[in-house]
Amino acid sequence: MASIIELRELTKRYGDLTAVDDITLDIEEGAVFGFIGPNGAGKTTTMRILTTLLRPTSGEARVAGYSVMAAPRDVRRAIGFMPDFFGVYEDMKVWEYLDFFAACYDVPAAGRPGMIDDLLALVDLGHKRDAYVETLSRGMKQRLCLARTLAHDPQVLILDEPASGLDPRARIEMRELLRELQKMGKTIFFSSHILSEVADICTSIGIIENGRLVATGNVGDMMSRLRAHRSVVVRFVPSAGVDLAAVAAGLENEPGVLSAEVDAAMPSTLRLDFGDDDSELSALLARLVGHGLPVLTFSEERGDLEDVFLQVTQGAAD
Amino acid sequence: MAETTSNTRPAAFRGKLSGIFSNPVTVKELRSRMRGRRAFVVLTLYLLVLSAAIIFVNLVYVSSGSYPGNTMTRTAGKGLFAAILGVQVLLVTFIGPAFTAAAVSGERERQTLDLLRTTLLSADAFVLGKLISSLSYILLLVVVSIPLQSIAFLLGGLSGVELILSQVLILIAAITYALYGLWCSAAMRSTLTATVATFSGTLFVTFGIPTIAFIGLLIFGSMGFMTGSSLTTSVEIALVYIGLALAATNLPATLLISEIFLLERDTLIGATETIVTRSLWLPSPWILFIIFHVAAAIIFYIAAVRRVRRVSDV
Ligand SMILES: Nc1ncnc2c1ncn2[C@@H]1O[C@H](COP(=O)(O)OP(=O)(O)OP(=O)(O)O)[C@@H](O)[C@H]1O
Ligand SMILES: [Mg+2]
Repeated sequence: MASIIELRELTKRYGDLTAVDDITLDIEEGAVFGFIGPNGAGKTTTMRILTTLLRPTSGEARVAGYSVMAAPRDVRRAIGFMPDFFGVYEDMKVWEYLDFFAACYDVPAAGRPGMIDDLLALVDLGHKRDAYVETLSRGMKQRLCLARTLAHDPQVLILDEPASGLDPRARIEMRELLRELQKMGKTIFFSSHILSEVADICTSIGIIENGRLVATGNVGDMMSRLRAHRSVVVRFVPSAGVDLAAVAAGLENEPGVLSAEVDAAMPSTLRLDFGDDDSELSALLARLVGHGLPVLTFSEERGDLEDVFLQVTQGAAD
Repeated sequence: MAETTSNTRPAAFRGKLSGIFSNPVTVKELRSRMRGRRAFVVLTLYLLVLSAAIIFVNLVYVSSGSYPGNTMTRTAGKGLFAAILGVQVLLVTFIGPAFTAAAVSGERERQTLDLLRTTLLSADAFVLGKLISSLSYILLLVVVSIPLQSIAFLLGGLSGVELILSQVLILIAAITYALYGLWCSAAMRSTLTATVATFSGTLFVTFGIPTIAFIGLLIFGSMGFMTGSSLTTSVEIALVYIGLALAATNLPATLLISEIFLLERDTLIGATETIVTRSLWLPSPWILFIIFHVAAAIIFYIAAVRRVRRVSDV
């Protein structure tokens, strides 16, 4: 499939600070790409470059085949952008707001009223058509802004933290909306710092940390990366007086075990970092029991994407 | 679309004209600004003040048994004309630029500028839309005062040429000052600094330059007095032309001196005067005023568009 967003060695420096550091990334048409990273990672900076608002220091960014620096108008025609923070005009009604932006996108005046009604219905704001924009709640403004990004029917939506500042219910609604938009065939590139929130709607994710893209791939790949480092908790019968340190040392040499250590927080418990192979894991349990060790529980701790996130980004935190 | 290719000249012109009024920014700004009672109240108050001035002038001069055309009413007509012109000068010098000084920086501060800059709206259309919407409010006030001006006209002592010339100069000044404010707004980070810069600029051309010219004249005069020698003819001639050029940078001075040319020399374009021993042709300052201000307006427009279009580095 063709890449609709292409970043090539994209770099942005502010003085000494490298906000975006040599990012190369491809996003396929129709993908829902979650751009995940902690505060200050460089998500907004990347998106501002992609939306022709910011000049990159070096490298290239293309949307729908158009370079952001060489053909900004073509890029703007192809994208709908929702920034992380945005203002609304005072003294303006909801339909006037959409009408204004549709006009800015050269949508002919005759087609606008019908389109505005459709967009308002899509984001569930039909009843607010004649309300003043500044009287809307945060969630409604966010949805209105999303409707605005659709005014010119762009191929790509670039949404900077579309769910920030929303209550749980509004977050779910926003997620449903993104699903709806994906069904309409839009490619969605959006940022968040909450991984678990986005995992189930993304087709692929990229994790950015200190300006570097530290991991990228589809959600399934990410999960198997996690499985390559699964955590296994082994608990022995507390009264049996097992020499935990000795067992841990012995386990280090068993096949599949990457590391083993005594869990300081739980009594009679070992924590194993284990590889990907299920049969090795099963064989290990059989051997432990065969050696007469009083195993009470032997369980894999189910990680989620949050752990991938922490795992991949832990180096940067040091 | 085959039918649009046969674009005749008038059709193209009409397209451009309707383009000005269908400019999204103009439509948006005027929709908000003319909404509600505010615009109505401002307009009513403004007309009331002007009408009160007229009634006052009428009571003082006209009702004392005189009829149109005599000296008394002529003076009254001139006074009225000057008073309304004064109000117009204040409007275009200070109120108009105050609107435009917030035009771009205000969008930036309200975090609406980035949304606009990712649309297909060109920087030209944005600047033009802001200019027209700010000006149209001011020009509305200027236009509604034209009927009152014509009362002065009816009182006599006022020619059509005087009226038209003054309104053309007001219009050109309005556009130039508004574009200056727009450029300040585009170039500066905050509306506050943009407003300060705008007012500093218009205050400087309105009051600063005449003050400097006056002080310069005093210094030159006293120098001549102290050395006991009068200025040489060529210096004096140069001073006259410099004075005229300076006057052409200043709206009130241009209005006044062009009026003097009209009344005393009965000329719109210019007159021959004898300075010391030589006779010189002196142009009426409005010509130079228009050249200066149209040039400045074009420069401010281009600079403002460039600032708006520029892709940010930070
Ligand atoms: N205009 C600027 N001038 C200087 N430094 C900047 C500027 N904008 C951003 N930065 C820096 O660049 C880095 C990346 O910022 P960016 O806003 O892209 O992060 P982010 O991933 O969007 O974070 P958040 O989750 O908080 O929105 C930060 O260290 C920030 O301080
Ligand atoms: Mg951000």
